[in-house]
Amino acid sequence: MTAQKISKERREAIRVQKMYDRIAANEKIMLQKKQRRENAKAARALGVKKNAKSEWHNKVARICSLIGFFLVWQGVCMLNSNGAFFNPTFLPSPADVVMTGYKYIQDGTLWVQIWSSMYRTLLGFALGVVVALILGILTTSFQTMDNIISPILNMIGPIPVFAFLPMFIIWFGIGEQSKIILIAYATFLPLMTYTVDGINNTSPVLIRSAKSLGANQFQIFTKVIMKSALPNVFVGMKVSLALTFSALVVAEMMGASRGLGFMITNARNWFKVGDMFLAAALIGLEYTVFFSILTALEKLLFKWKRSGLSNAVET
Amino acid sequence: MAGVLLNHVTKTFETDTEPSGRKYVLKDLNLTIKDKEFICVLGKSGGGKSTLLNLVAGYLKPTSGEIIVNGKTVSGPSAERGVVFQEHALFPWYTVSQNIQFGLKIKKNKHAKEIADQYIHMIGLEGYENKYPASLSGGMAQRVGIARALANNPDLLLMDEPLGALDALTRENMRKELIRIWKQAGKTILFITHSVPEAVYLADRVILLKNGIIDMDLHIDLPRLRDPKSREFINYVTMLERGLAEKETDGILSE
Repeated sequence: MTAQKISKERREAIRVQKMYDRIAANEKIMLQKKQRRENAKAARALGVKKNAKSEWHNKVARICSLIGFFLVWQGVCMLNSNGAFFNPTFLPSPADVVMTGYKYIQDGTLWVQIWSSMYRTLLGFALGVVVALILGILTTSFQTMDNIISPILNMIGPIPVFAFLPMFIIWFGIGEQSKIILIAYATFLPLMTYTVDGINNTSPVLIRSAKSLGANQFQIFTKVIMKSALPNVFVGMKVSLALTFSALVVAEMMGASRGLGFMITNARNWFKVGDMFLAAALIGLEYTVFFSILTALEKLLFKWKRSGLSNAVET
Repeated sequence: MAGVLLNHVTKTFETDTEPSGRKYVLKDLNLTIKDKEFICVLGKSGGGKSTLLNLVAGYLKPTSGEIIVNGKTVSGPSAERGVVFQEHALFPWYTVSQNIQFGLKIKKNKHAKEIADQYIHMIGLEGYENKYPASLSGGMAQRVGIARALANNPDLLLMDEPLGALDALTRENMRKELIRIWKQAGKTILFITHSVPEAVYLADRVILLKNGIIDMDLHIDLPRLRDPKSREFINYVTMLERGLAEKETDGILSE
C-alpha cells in the first residue's frame, strides 16, 4: 500500500517535472523569438532590412539640410561680396570662418583658447557634480542636514547664477578661481535637485528586499539607493551641462585673458567678426563633445535599462 | 528550528474615516507556527494579511504584542526571514546571477557563484545568468525572486502572493515546484494568498483572516501532491469559501 503510494507520488513528481520542463522550454523559445525580433530591429537600424530604405532617406535628408544651410550661407556671402545688400564684414562666409580657424591653428594660438575653456569646464563641472552629490546625499540621509541646507538653497536658488559673478570676482580674484566656482555653482544647482529626486524615488520594495537579504544601511545605500538614483543623476548632469557652458562663456567674457568666451569679446573690440563665429562654433563643438561623452557613459553604465519609448510599440 | 509565535499582536493605523481616529488592521492576534510547517494566510484585500507578513518580516512594528521567531523577538528585517514579494522586486541593475548572489555576497560567502548556479539550475534558467531582469518574462523573474530568497538559506520564508501575477499554467507549475522545494529544503513557510484553491493545495494549515482576527484555523489533512479535482479537496475549498463569504456578511451586520 505504502509502496504503491510512494511510486504514485514519484510518478506524479516526474509528470510535474516534465510539465515544468516543457514550460521552461516554451519560455525559452518565446525569448529566443523576442531576441530574434530585436536582432532584426538592430539590423534594420544598420540599414540591412526593408525599413532600411526609409531610414537611409531620413539620414540623407538630415545631412542635406546641414549642407544646404552652409551652401545658402556661402551663397549669400558671395552675392554680397561687393556689399550689394549689407556690409560684408558683418557676416563672414563659412569658408572665411574655416580659413580664420586654419590661420589660428597655424600660429598655435587657437589651442590655448580651446584648452583654457576645456580646463575650466572640466574642473568646474567636476566640482559642481561632487558638491551636488555630497549635498544631495546629506540632505536625503539626515533630516537635520535637510533642515539646514534646503532653506538656504531655496533662498539663493532663484537668483540667476550670473548675478553672482561680480561678487565671485571680488571674493576669489579675477583669475581662474572665480570662473571655476561660477561654473561649478551653475552646474551644482539643477544637478542637486535631480540627485535628491533620484534618491527619494528609490523603490521601497527594493530597500525592503535588500534588508531581508541581510544588507546593512551602508550596503543599502551603495547597492540599492545609489544604483537606483544614478540614471537620474546622469539626466541632471546633461541638463546642467547647458548651464555649465553658459556660465563658462559669461565668466570668460568678464575679465579673462584666454578662452573661447574671451575670444568673442576680444573679437568685438577689434571688429573681427570671423573670430566671433569661430569661437561660437567651437563652444558648440565642445558642448557636443561633452554631451556625447555623457551619453556614451550612460549607455555603458545603464545597459540594464530599457528605454520605454522605443520598446513600447514596435514600429 | 524556525517556529513563529505571535503573542497578542495588534496593529492599528491612524485614519480619518473611523470615529476613533484609528483603524484596527490586526486585533489581538495569537498564532503559533511550528517548525517546517507550511501555513497559508487567506483573506480578502484589506483583511490584514499583508500587514501580518510585513510585521513578521520586520518592516512594520506591532502597536502592541510581540512576534517571536526562533526564540527571538522580531525587531526589524533580517536575513533569517527571507521574503518573496508580489512583484518579484529584483534589482534591475543586477543580472539574474548577481541578484541571486546578493545576500551571499553580503555574508561574504566564498561559494556565492556556485550556489547561485545551483539555484539557477533548480529554477531552470540556465543560459539566463547574465540577463537583466527587464529581459525576463514575469514567471521567470518571479522564479529568480524565489531563488534569491532561498539562496540566502533563511529559516523562515515569507511569501506575499508570489504567484498572483503569473498566468494560470505557470502558477500551477510554480505551486508544484514550491511543494518540492519546501519538502527538499525543510523550511517554514508563511504564504499569503487570496486564492482558496491555492491555499488548500499548498498548506498544512490555512488561516482565514477576516477583519483583523483569525476566523478559521484549518488543518488540511490531504496527502501531497493534492488533486484539486478530488472530493476532499473540493470540500475544503467549499468550507473555506463559505467561511470567507459568511463571515463577511456577519461582519457587516455586527458593525
